[in-house]
Amino acid sequence: MATSNGNLGRTPAGANPSQRGPRHHPHAPPAADARRAIDVLVVGGGHAGVEAALAAARLGARVALVTLRADRIGEMSCNPAIGGVAKGQLAREVDALGGAMGLATDQTGIQFRMLNSAKGFAVQGPRAQADRHRYREAVTEFVRREARIEVREDAVDELLVESSGTGHKVVGAKLASGASIHAAAVVITTGTFLSAIMHTGESQSQGGRVGEGTTRGISRDLARLGLELGRLKTGTPPRLAREGIAWDRLEPQCGDPLPLPFSFRTALEGFPTLPQVPCFLSYTDTRAHELIRANIHRAPMYAGRIQGVGPRYCPSVEDKVMRFPERERHQVFLEPEGLDTDVIYVNGLSTSLPKEVQEEFLALVPGLEKARILRHGYAVEYDFCQPAQLDPTLHVLAVPGLFLAGQINGTSGYEEAAAQGLLAGANAALWARGDDAFVLGRDEAYAGVLVDDLTALAPREPYRMFTSRAEYRLLLRQDDVDRRLVPRAAEVGLVDASHVARLEARERRLAEAVALLSGLRTPESGGKTLLEWLRRPEISVESLKAVCPAFVALELPRDLCVTLEADVKYAGYVERARLDVARAAAEESTEIPSDFDYAPVRGLGNEAREKLSRLRPRTLGAAGRIAGVNPPDVALLSIHVQRARAKDADSKITSPGAAPPS
Amino acid sequence: MARPSPLDTIAAFASPPGGAARAVLRISGPRVLELARGCLRDPLPAARGLLTTRFDPATGRGTWPALGLWMPGPRSYTGEDVLELHLPGAEALCALALERVVQLGARPAEPGEFTRRAFLNGRMDLTQAEGVADLVGAKNEGQRRAALRLLEGDLGRRVADLVEELLGLSALAEASLDFDEYDTGAVPRDELRAGLLRARAQLEAVRAQVAAGAPASGRVCAVLAGAPNGGKSSLFNALTGAAALVSPRAGTTRDRLEGTWRADGLAIELWDLPGLDDAAEGLDALAQDRARASLAGADLILWVASAADPRAARPPYLRELPPGAARILVWSQIDVPGARPEPPAELLGALGHPPVARVSALRGLGLDELSRATRARVGALPEVGGVSRETAGRHRMALDDAGGELEAAERVLDAEGPLDLFASHLVAAGRALEALGGSHTAEDVLDRIFARFCLGK
Repeated sequence: MATSNGNLGRTPAGANPSQRGPRHHPHAPPAADARRAIDVLVVGGGHAGVEAALAAARLGARVALVTLRADRIGEMSCNPAIGGVAKGQLAREVDALGGAMGLATDQTGIQFRMLNSAKGFAVQGPRAQADRHRYREAVTEFVRREARIEVREDAVDELLVESSGTGHKVVGAKLASGASIHAAAVVITTGTFLSAIMHTGESQSQGGRVGEGTTRGISRDLARLGLELGRLKTGTPPRLAREGIAWDRLEPQCGDPLPLPFSFRTALEGFPTLPQVPCFLSYTDTRAHELIRANIHRAPMYAGRIQGVGPRYCPSVEDKVMRFPERERHQVFLEPEGLDTDVIYVNGLSTSLPKEVQEEFLALVPGLEKARILRHGYAVEYDFCQPAQLDPTLHVLAVPGLFLAGQINGTSGYEEAAAQGLLAGANAALWARGDDAFVLGRDEAYAGVLVDDLTALAPREPYRMFTSRAEYRLLLRQDDVDRRLVPRAAEVGLVDASHVARLEARERRLAEAVALLSGLRTPESGGKTLLEWLRRPEISVESLKAVCPAFVALELPRDLCVTLEADVKYAGYVERARLDVARAAAEESTEIPSDFDYAPVRGLGNEAREKLSRLRPRTLGAAGRIAGVNPPDVALLSIHVQRARAKDADSKITSPGAAPPS
Repeated sequence: MARPSPLDTIAAFASPPGGAARAVLRISGPRVLELARGCLRDPLPAARGLLTTRFDPATGRGTWPALGLWMPGPRSYTGEDVLELHLPGAEALCALALERVVQLGARPAEPGEFTRRAFLNGRMDLTQAEGVADLVGAKNEGQRRAALRLLEGDLGRRVADLVEELLGLSALAEASLDFDEYDTGAVPRDELRAGLLRARAQLEAVRAQVAAGAPASGRVCAVLAGAPNGGKSSLFNALTGAAALVSPRAGTTRDRLEGTWRADGLAIELWDLPGLDDAAEGLDALAQDRARASLAGADLILWVASAADPRAARPPYLRELPPGAARILVWSQIDVPGARPEPPAELLGALGHPPVARVSALRGLGLDELSRATRARVGALPEVGGVSRETAGRHRMALDDAGGELEAAERVLDAEGPLDLFASHLVAAGRALEALGGSHTAEDVLDRIFARFCLGK
C-alpha cells in the first residue's frame, strides 16, 4: 500500500480492512417450530420493508410482507427524489448489496445530477428526481418477481409473543383479518405510522400519510415488550397542479447532460431511459414572510400542539422564517412528480400552517399566484423506538426474533430506511438459519456508520446521513462502492457470481489504464509519467485524453474514468485513512459487555461515566466517539473490560454456576 | 493522531520528577531498535543486557553519558521491545531527550500506558490487573488535573479561541460539502482562507506560550488551601523564601501566589490561594472562584488549619476538595498560646485521614517534617511528574501535528484542490488538539451548521 498506485489494482476481496467487528447475533438461533411456514415476516412495504423482504429472500428465506396497501409498495411519501450528498452513497451501497433502490431509480429517473461534482470525489453524491408512480411500480415489480415473497394486504393487530422466565420472544404476528403468521423473525418497518397524528393548522387527524391510517397496536406491543419509545416530527409541503403555474416566469434547473446511473448493474448505453425534465426555481419574499409571522400562533409547533422534535436540516418554512428573520427570501423548488402527472412537489415549503394560510402564502410567491393546491402541507408526529436498544444487526437486544428498520428507529430519508431494511432483512434471514451476522464497518460503508451511530447515540432529531458523520469519508466514495461491498455481499450470498464478475471486469479495465499511464510520458507531462501527471489538481482525465491517443483508444467507460482519477488523486489520503483504520481496529473490535457496570471504575471522568452508563456503547471504539469520553478514559475502560472478560472466563472454567472468585 | 494506538512506540520518564541526579527514560514498542540506532552511539546488544554508551540529543552540542538496559520482547515489562535509558537528571536535559526520541518516531506515552500494555500483552495476572486499573485511574485523574491546570488562565483562553476558530472553519467547510449550494450559497474560498489564517495565528500563539513552558514545567503542583487567616501566606513565605503580604485580617491574599519550594530535594511548584470562605462576596467571591479552579488542578493539597482557631474543626467547604488529589493536613500556628496540640478527629476524618505536619511558619518549626511528608506523598503519586513532563511533550506534539495539518490545508487551498481534502486536514487538526482538551465531535459541527445556515431542500 506504500507504492504510488497501491490501491489501484488491489484485489477487492483481499484488502478489506474490516473483516472484524462483532459478527455474531445477540441471541441464540430460534428453535424449530412446526407451525412455521415463513422464516421472515416483514411488516411494512416502504423503502425499508421492501429491501428487508428482498434481502431475506435473496438469502433463501421464505418471506411474508404485510402492508396496509399493496398498491403503495415503494411509495415515496414525501420528496419524489432519491440520493443526494451522502444519501446517494447510501443508495449505491444498497445497490452493491443487491438491493432494488438503485435499479428502480435508474429505470424511473426523470432528472439525474451529480451533486458536489466540483468539491471532491469523496463528497460527490448522485441525486435523481423519480417519476413517483413509475418508481412505485418498478419496486412493486421487484417484489412481485421474487417467488419467495408472499405479499399480504393486511394490518398487524398484535405481535405474537412467547414469554418465559427469562423474557419475551417474538414468534409472529396476528393480522386484522384474523390470520396468524408464525415466523422465526419479524422485521418491523412501519415508518411514521406508529401512533401517527397529522397536523394542519388547528386540525389534527390520525394517520402516517394522507388517506391512510395508523398502527397503534404495534406501538402498544413495543411498549409492552419494555422498549423505550420517543416522539419525532416530520413534515411535507403542499402539492400543486401543473396548470396555473406561470412556468415562463420561473428559473429552470436541468440535470447533467451526461448522467451516470445509480446502479452498477445499469448499462451506460441507453441510460437514462425516460425523457429528462427540468425542475423550476422561485423565491419567497418579505411579504410572504410577514404573512407567516402574523399567523405563527396557528402553526402547531409554535402553538405547542406538537411535542415531537423535527429535523433541523429540513425545517418547515415557518421555522425558516422565524429562525432566520434576516433572510429576505427562501428558495422554492417546483419538482414534477412524474411524466404523466400534473402533480408538482413544492420542495422547500414544508409546512403545517392552516390551509387558508398556505393558500394565501403561495399566492405571494412569484409564478405561483394562480396555482391550485392539490393537497395541503402537513406535519406528522409519530412514535419511534430508541435505537440504542438495538444491536448492529438491528435485532432488538432484549427481544429475540424482533428486528426494527427505517424511520421507526428515528431516522429520516428513503436511503437511510432502505439501507437499514436491507441489513435487518439479511440478518433476520441469517439468524433464522443459524448463520453468522452481516455487519459492515464504519470504514466500509455509510450503512455501517448509520447502524453504528444509531445503536450508540440517542437521536435528538430524525437522523439523516451526512458525509461529515463518517470519519473515514475519504474511503467511502460513491464511485467505487462496489469494490468495498460486492465481495462482502457475495460472501454472505446477497449477490450472485455475476456481480463479482462485473466487479472483476471493472478492476481489469482500471488496471489496464493504470499500466498504460504509468509507462507513458508526453511533452505536456514534463518528464513525469502520465499517471504521476494526473495527480496534479489541475489535470483531469480529459487532459489525458487530449494528449494521449493510446488512452483514448482504451475507451475506458465514463464511470471508470471517475474512479481512475479519484484513485490517483486521493491515493495518499486513502493510505493515511487506512492507517487510521488499522490503528482504531483494536478498539473497534473490543466489545464492552452489555451489562458492564461503570460505577466501580475508579478514575473515569464524571461526564464520561454518566454518558457511558446512559449510552452503553457496544465497543471501545464506540465509547471513544462519545463527546466527553477522552482517550485516557478509553484506556482505563479497556483494562476493566479485559479484566471483566478474564474473570468471566475464569468463573466458567473453575466454578460453573458458583459466584466468581473475587 | 491523538488516539493512542498499540501500534505506536511510546516513551516516557519512569523516574520521579523534580531534577534528581539520574532520570530513566523508558521506550517500548515495535520501533525501539530503530530509535536506538538514531540516538545512541553504540548498537544494542543482540540479547537482553546492559550497554554503556552516549546519548545524542542531536542538538549539535555534544552527547551525554547514558546507560541502556535492553529488554527485547516478549520477556520485558510490557511484553514488547523495551529500552530503558539512564540519563543525566536535569530537567532541561530530560525535555531534550524526550523531544529527540519523539523526533525519531516515538510518541509520549499516555498515563499508565506501559502498564496497560503489560496487562494487555499478558505480562500480568488478574490480581495485578486490579492494581493496574487503579493506577491508570489515578493517572487519568492526574492528566485531567493537568488539563484543568492548562485550561485555567491565559493559555486556556488561547486554546479555547483556537478550537472555536477551527470549529467555525470546519462548520463552514462541512456545510458546503454536506449541503447543496442552493442552501448554503457557494462558500467563498477567501472566507475559508481568512479563517485558516486566523486559526494558524492562534495556533502559533498557543505554541509560543507552551514553548515558554509556563504551566507545563514538569513539576508537581501543590496548593496551600484552607480557611481564611489560617497562616497560609506565612507558610508560603517560609517555604519559598518569598515575601507575600501577610496580615492578621482574613482575606489578605486575593490572588494566587506562585513560588518554587524545594522540599527534601524535590522542586515543587507551590501555589498560595486566598482562603475559601462561603460568606465572601464581591471581589473576594471572584478571587475565590479562581481559587477553587486552582484547587481542581493541583496534584497535592496542603490543607492549612490553624491550631489556634477553634472553628478549624468544621470548615464548611471541605467537600469542594477534588477527590483525586493527595492531601496533607498542615496543623499550623502551633506556637500560639492556647493552640491545640493535635488536630480534631473530625477534621482528620473529613480530609480522609491524611498525614499531619505540625508547623509554625514564623518560628520555622516542623518545616522539615512537612518536606519529608510531602516527598513521601509525592513519591506515592503515580508518575505525577510524568504527567506534567510527558503532558508537556504531548502538548507540543499535538500542536506540531495540528500546525502541520493547517499548513497542509492551506496547500490544498492554494492549489485549488478539492474541498473534501481541505476538510480532512481540519478534522485531523481538531483531533490533534484533543490532547489539549480541545476536541469537538461531528455533532458539534452539525450544530454550527444548523445555527448558521438556513437549510431545507
